[in-house]
Amino acid sequence: MDDTHAPATTGSPYRVYWITWAMLLGITVAMLAAESFHMPRWFLVIFLLIFMMVKAVMIGGNFMHLRYEKKNLAVMVAAGILVTSLILFFFIRPEARYVLEHSSH
Amino acid sequence: MHAGETALESHWGGGAAPFGASWQKTMMWIFIVTDALLFSGLLSGYAFLRQSIPSPWPRQSEVFSIPFIALMTFILITSSMTMGTAVTAARLGDRKKALRMLIFTIIGGLFFLGCQAYEWLELIHEGARLQSNPWGPPQFGQAFFLLTGFHGSHVISGLVILIVTAIRSAMNKTPPQGVEMAGLYWHFVDLVWVFIFTLFYLL
Repeated sequence: MDDTHAPATTGSPYRVYWITWAMLLGITVAMLAAESFHMPRWFLVIFLLIFMMVKAVMIGGNFMHLRYEKKNLAVMVAAGILVTSLILFFFIRPEARYVLEHSSH
Repeated sequence: MHAGETALESHWGGGAAPFGASWQKTMMWIFIVTDALLFSGLLSGYAFLRQSIPSPWPRQSEVFSIPFIALMTFILITSSMTMGTAVTAARLGDRKKALRMLIFTIIGGLFFLGCQAYEWLELIHEGARLQSNPWGPPQFGQAFFLLTGFHGSHVISGLVILIVTAIRSAMNKTPPQGVEMAGLYWHFVDLVWVFIFTLFYLL
């Protein structure tokens, strides 16, 4: 079956890749530069996590063409990975605290 | 069909392609989701280590050359861009451009792998082992070797897939969809690096 969902661009069909590449590099430089600024740790963590997610969305959407796929495929992939990862992370967090408290005694 | 069979008949309304994609692409996406969950588990394990040890985690900028890691990131992002171009060129029927871009992607992947091998050798030379390291808790070395090692193994598999795809493309044996499948896997490798770069090298 034909499952091509080519990027609908008015100019060069490769333009989307160049723009995404430039934006990813810009974001990476911003993330590296943020390290050298003396900002509160919690702010730096949130800043880096947000930019990490922006980069992931750009790679998934533009490079892997998820934004051109049917919505149910994109939702299955994005929500499946995100929700499972969050559950994994937040379920082991109390356990890590428990281990820390008991190992320091 | 008997009445009993009719009652059991599935009322599936998605037709043959509920995701509007071929079975190859659907299976590739399912594989990517499962592989992403593997890395999700590894990164959650890494988060567990960071939160459960009483000794301070080493400052990454004192252990790694962050500009060098940034260079590795640049190489991988660039290879993803050339891979995307190869996929679109293949779809548009521009076989020469698709092959050229596939070769650029392979070169990028080899450079990345070379950088990773250099980084490993440097750290091993400085005393990093699975059981101990000169910078603090042994979990630091374990997380480093496990995360980057697993990612590196994916880069190697990706390179094998790309080389096979390039050879078959040169022989006019790979349809555009074959290039797209290889591309999906390569972009996934790039995607995983985004998380490792941020969570392990920066935070």
